[in-house]
Amino acid sequence: MANSEKFWRFALYGALLFAAAYYLLPLYVMLTTSVKSVEEIRVGNLLSLPMAVTFDAWSKAWSTACTGVSCNGLSGYFWNSVQMVIPAVAISTMLGAINGYVLSKWRFRGSEIVFAMILFGVFMPFQVLLLPMAQTLGMFGMANTTAGLVFVHVVCGTASTTLFFRNYYVGIPDELIKAARLDGAGFWRIFWRIILPMSTPIIMVTLIWQFTQIWNDFLFGVVFASGDAQPITVGLNNLANTSTSVKEYNVDMAAALIAALPTILVYVFAGKYFVRGLTAGAVKG
Amino acid sequence: MGALAIKNVTKSFGDTHILKGINIDIEAGEFLILVGPSGCGKSTLMNIIAGLEQATSGEVHIADRVVNNVAPKDRDIAMVFQSYALYPTMNVRQNIAFGMETRGVPKAEQNEIINRVAKMLQMDHLLDRKPSALSGGQRQRVAMGRALARDPKLFLFDEPLSNLDAKLRVEMRVEIKQLHQRLKTTIVYVTHDQIEAMTLGDKIAVMKDGVIQQFGSPQDIYERPANLFVASFIGSPSMNFIPCHLVQQGEQIGVTLQGNGVPQFIALSDRAELKDRVGQKVILGVRPEQWDVEQSEHALQCAVKITEPTGPDTMVYSEVNGVEMIARVHPRAATAAGTSLSLILDVKKAVVFDPETELRIA
Repeated sequence: MANSEKFWRFALYGALLFAAAYYLLPLYVMLTTSVKSVEEIRVGNLLSLPMAVTFDAWSKAWSTACTGVSCNGLSGYFWNSVQMVIPAVAISTMLGAINGYVLSKWRFRGSEIVFAMILFGVFMPFQVLLLPMAQTLGMFGMANTTAGLVFVHVVCGTASTTLFFRNYYVGIPDELIKAARLDGAGFWRIFWRIILPMSTPIIMVTLIWQFTQIWNDFLFGVVFASGDAQPITVGLNNLANTSTSVKEYNVDMAAALIAALPTILVYVFAGKYFVRGLTAGAVKG
Repeated sequence: MGALAIKNVTKSFGDTHILKGINIDIEAGEFLILVGPSGCGKSTLMNIIAGLEQATSGEVHIADRVVNNVAPKDRDIAMVFQSYALYPTMNVRQNIAFGMETRGVPKAEQNEIINRVAKMLQMDHLLDRKPSALSGGQRQRVAMGRALARDPKLFLFDEPLSNLDAKLRVEMRVEIKQLHQRLKTTIVYVTHDQIEAMTLGDKIAVMKDGVIQQFGSPQDIYERPANLFVASFIGSPSMNFIPCHLVQQGEQIGVTLQGNGVPQFIALSDRAELKDRVGQKVILGVRPEQWDVEQSEHALQCAVKITEPTGPDTMVYSEVNGVEMIARVHPRAATAAGTSLSLILDVKKAVVFDPETELRIA
């Protein structure tokens, strides 16, 4: 009995370790390759540790690598992405919170239909948006600007953020709203003072979700931005596709890591809230 | 002066009629209980009084003022909820202060009120805790404190004890009663628990299907229930309903009861209402404690099926006129299952119902 239990425990941990190694291996290869020199990559083994660690590839990817005709590295694209992701995440999260609050606690005639329609936005493939959105951006004079990209991401992200917040707020007892109304609080006061302070877990989930979605987006970035406004995903693509005499795998890997770093950091610092927020049940008061 | 008057209030959602013409009038300082099974409309009525829902028709008066179009916050009421509804991110002090803050009460006055309320409910030591760090009873106390801080014309309690365990419920019940006696404010209290209704209320409105079945003092409702529903809902164990025929024996009008012995004639002659019903079917309503064990030739012999000792009394289950009958007797007088027991009915307290209309006729 005890022996078979032990065996299964080992088998379980073995399987988990294998899965972890399997998923971490690409990251390992990227990291080691990015700190190797081109010569070492050419002669060495893909999995071997670097003989001499050098960050030349990182600095090249950041500031001098060629992305098409210009050779200024990824830094410009990186800041474009930062300028896009912060307002887009903030606005879509805020809108989602307000929508969710209305759709769960201030229901009106037809609010379920409105919610169903918003839900439709979650499942819609974004490719169908490309043409009408291009026209809309043109009409607003926002084509090829960071503001235009922010607008697109807010429009497309609000469906999911509304879903997150609405489902979280449904679990908050209605009596809380009634009590606050008897205390004389109105729509906004209840939202700011009662509801929003209770929302930390779901705000974290939404921030992570939206940040990852918007930072990693390539489709909208490549379609709706050009030149100075392109985000890092487009920059990375251009960098990897710009042919040079020698394929600089170390620079490609460093560039890919630079592009992935913000989302990795967000997960590291806020990941525990993600799991907690997804599993948080009704709020017991 | 009328503290609360509800006049012909109805509430409908399409074809569903939740409340069908409710009329209630209570004086300042009275403790009104709205009691009934779930779905009877009592919580809806409470929400209409609070202004959280709108009545379809009719008027609500609070302190002689029509409040139909007055916002909840301006009705001068405070409410205690079943789930307590404490703001989870605020500590106890902030919970109590929130309403005063919204109304713009000066900070110094807020503190004064908080300290007074905390002292009254003996929760000074809890003021800096979050609701999640409080026990059920403490949360209940804070919820009451929040209502008290308002010093309203009318307190509304919506099943405030339902989430507490049995022992705490009894304690808090006494505490609410003491509070009411001390403060002399008007209270409307919704419950489905008939014991809470009996013990707390000055007036009870027994509701079913959106209609008030009976409105009166607890004793009145207990002794003179308006119909079979009220009679069965109030009192535990429930009133016994014994089907009988009204017969005439000589000068006397009465009913015949039979256990497992000789049928016994029970005279009900002093009740004028029964005179022209001789020969008709009636239902005799007898509370379990209206039986007494006594050896006498007029006693009703009953076969004991089960006995349930509760300590002070023993419930004896037997059969009369073909239906189950419970008698609450002294533990020493109760005999074991399988034996026979002689029971005497306190006939003055028995009530008579019409089996068709289910209304009390005598």
